[in-house]
Amino acid sequence: MLPSLHFFLTDQVIDSASLTSELHDAAAGAEVTFDGRVRNHNDGQVVGGLEYQAYPALALATGRRILEEEASRHGILRALAAHRTGSLEIGESAVWVGVATAHRGEAFDAARAIMERLKYELPVWKKETYLNGSTEWVGPDNKSAETGRRSDDVPEWKSELVEIWISPGNDFRGHNGGSRGENGIVSLPEVECVAGMGLKGDRYFGYKPDFKGQVTFFDAEAVDAVRNHFVCPDLSSGEFRRNLIVRGIDLSAWVGKRFLFQGVEFEGSEECKPCYWMDAAVSPGVEEFLKTRFRGGLRARILSDGVLKVF
Amino acid sequence: MNPTYQVHYFGLLNERRGLAEERVSHPATTAAGLYEALNAEHRFGLATADFRVAVNDEFVSWDLLLKDGDHIALLPPMSGG
Repeated sequence: MLPSLHFFLTDQVIDSASLTSELHDAAAGAEVTFDGRVRNHNDGQVVGGLEYQAYPALALATGRRILEEEASRHGILRALAAHRTGSLEIGESAVWVGVATAHRGEAFDAARAIMERLKYELPVWKKETYLNGSTEWVGPDNKSAETGRRSDDVPEWKSELVEIWISPGNDFRGHNGGSRGENGIVSLPEVECVAGMGLKGDRYFGYKPDFKGQVTFFDAEAVDAVRNHFVCPDLSSGEFRRNLIVRGIDLSAWVGKRFLFQGVEFEGSEECKPCYWMDAAVSPGVEEFLKTRFRGGLRARILSDGVLKVF
Repeated sequence: MNPTYQVHYFGLLNERRGLAEERVSHPATTAAGLYEALNAEHRFGLATADFRVAVNDEFVSWDLLLKDGDHIALLPPMSGG
């Protein structure tokens, strides 16, 4: 059966309850709705209100196309999305997305995908009004309204992402005096980074607010050095339990600095000091070896959402 | 005679041009050529690599050949949501 899909623009208040009721479907075990509202601050400024300008003919066609494409990707039974136009006050809904699918996983994924695409592909433009009465057109996700990219010069890492490792739980941390945990660590071809949270599926995802180690970078050359020095050529780079094995970047230069890597923005927080478990996990002396030359790697916060891939 | 186009400005470009649309007669045969001429006159400051264009309500590439009477919409980076 064809999915029921509807996208519209409106200059009236979006009624979340009545839209939600249109999602109900006997075959749907999951409904996910997203309500994007006007907040009272943005990028350090107090915001008094917003105005959205749309290109109606193209926005309607684009919104419909996004729903159709995501419906076929995610098995959507029903999808409904709306975007406001005109002037909005703080707390009003600016954009609304609702999906109904058979199971929860695809409902969350579909709603997220539709919302991300609406932000970047829908021909709608946002103008913020500040408390002093001044106004400004803004770009997507606080990127430049002129280029759609970040207006500040955050340098881009040209390094290679060699491997991605995530682990569902801690095998060393908190295991002092006991044995190591059994959570293991898995290598992935790609991983989703979520700003302020961490890597999807990793033990430190959402660990605590402003956590310095949302992600850890580790130099492939440090892996090589340990393999050579301790004569263990088959040692997995996952044994270090760092997330992202990179090659071609001096990690020590990025403490306290922001950078882009495959389009995702990070901020280096501190050296990732090795612990005594390294000696047990790899070989005696590895902890000391990793304490030199910044070999322990770099801990970092994630500042923007995106996907990293091994190439 | 030069072809005549109806040019539509949105968002930041609407503000910088000071109007939502205008008729333009110009020898340019592509959207890129037309924008280059408009940018030279009004100094919009945006580069075609950074934003999109639509002709007659469809996204198109900047090098599409234009026809007399086409509606050309200049779409700076979108910022819905």
